[in-house]
Amino acid sequence: MFYLSRIEHTLRVPPDILSRPLTEAIKVELEKLFLDKVIANLGLCISVYDIISIEGGFIFPGDGAATYTAVFTMIMFRPFVGEIISAKVKESDANGLRLTLGFFEDIYIPANFLPDPSRPEPDPRKRDRVTWIWEFGEQKYVIDGEDEIRFQVHSVNYPPIPVEQPKESKPFAPMVITGSLDCDGLGPVSWWDGADESEE
Amino acid sequence: MKILEANAGALANFEVLNFLKSKGASKDPTRVLADVAPSEYKVYDYLVETAACDQTKENVNEFLEKCKKYDLAKAEVLNIINIRASTAVEIYLIVEDCEKRLGDDVDELVKTVAEVLPPAPTEPASEEVNNEADEKTADQNINEQLVGEGPEKAPDKEPIETS
Repeated sequence: MFYLSRIEHTLRVPPDILSRPLTEAIKVELEKLFLDKVIANLGLCISVYDIISIEGGFIFPGDGAATYTAVFTMIMFRPFVGEIISAKVKESDANGLRLTLGFFEDIYIPANFLPDPSRPEPDPRKRDRVTWIWEFGEQKYVIDGEDEIRFQVHSVNYPPIPVEQPKESKPFAPMVITGSLDCDGLGPVSWWDGADESEE
Repeated sequence: MKILEANAGALANFEVLNFLKSKGASKDPTRVLADVAPSEYKVYDYLVETAACDQTKENVNEFLEKCKKYDLAKAEVLNIINIRASTAVEIYLIVEDCEKRLGDDVDELVKTVAEVLPPAPTEPASEEVNNEADEKTADQNINEQLVGEGPEKAPDKEPIETS
């Protein structure tokens, strides 16, 4: 799930934090710039792991801040295809499920990747919500809102930033994980805990 | 910004968790003091509920030693450690061509996982929920006592004013 990536970046360090030790000041600036942001094809930046080198410290004319070139390692969240991850259900509608990890919420399971055969049952309480039920032989397994769901990563996409967006569309997601539930052992953990003994 | 090396090493969940802990993340509710950003806290909250929260380097090294004979890919071992595969179903899911490569060794592998890696925190989570419920009822009791004292004071005031 997590990888280390080495990045070099030139950044401005504003004068008000220069009273702190240099590594700390640069770390604070890097965190402001990168934390919780997605870098295309690298993943979501979680944390600055360490700083390998700092060079420069020049002050350009007309600018009050010092400019440094820093080489540092960053912890990135980038699941590989085929990885099994546990997540919670955020939304469930006619197109499929949307799962969340707390720090990352753009995980979609389209309806065709749900275990076959599944059928959606409209939720009587809310109009757009749909509960998915898996019919395995004679038994019906429900995807409940509270369970921890295990899914397998099918693909990770980084859609290009759109130039214009219509007003009511969803906020732009720079990193989208598509998952599948279509294998033995995937889906809510409660489906497989007791079932394991009976199936084998 | 230049990317020098996109993949400088994979990290298991428990390593990221230990890194965040060493930065000062913890479970207690007063989180303003630590040097940890709110987005890092979200990662910490997620990891603390998985099987990675009790793993140590020694456990994992021991597990790696015992796994060498099964000839698993690095990604497969990482996956097994991260979700603590405790049943054969999970091993089949993670390892490609499991029948051909492991065959009957799957049960042995499941036993090794159960022996070496500490179990996932399923019960402690419910204990925490019970503790929070206890704290809430305790708070309610204190509030009720304060509310109860109010009306008792008012009747004392009235007789003094009228007389």
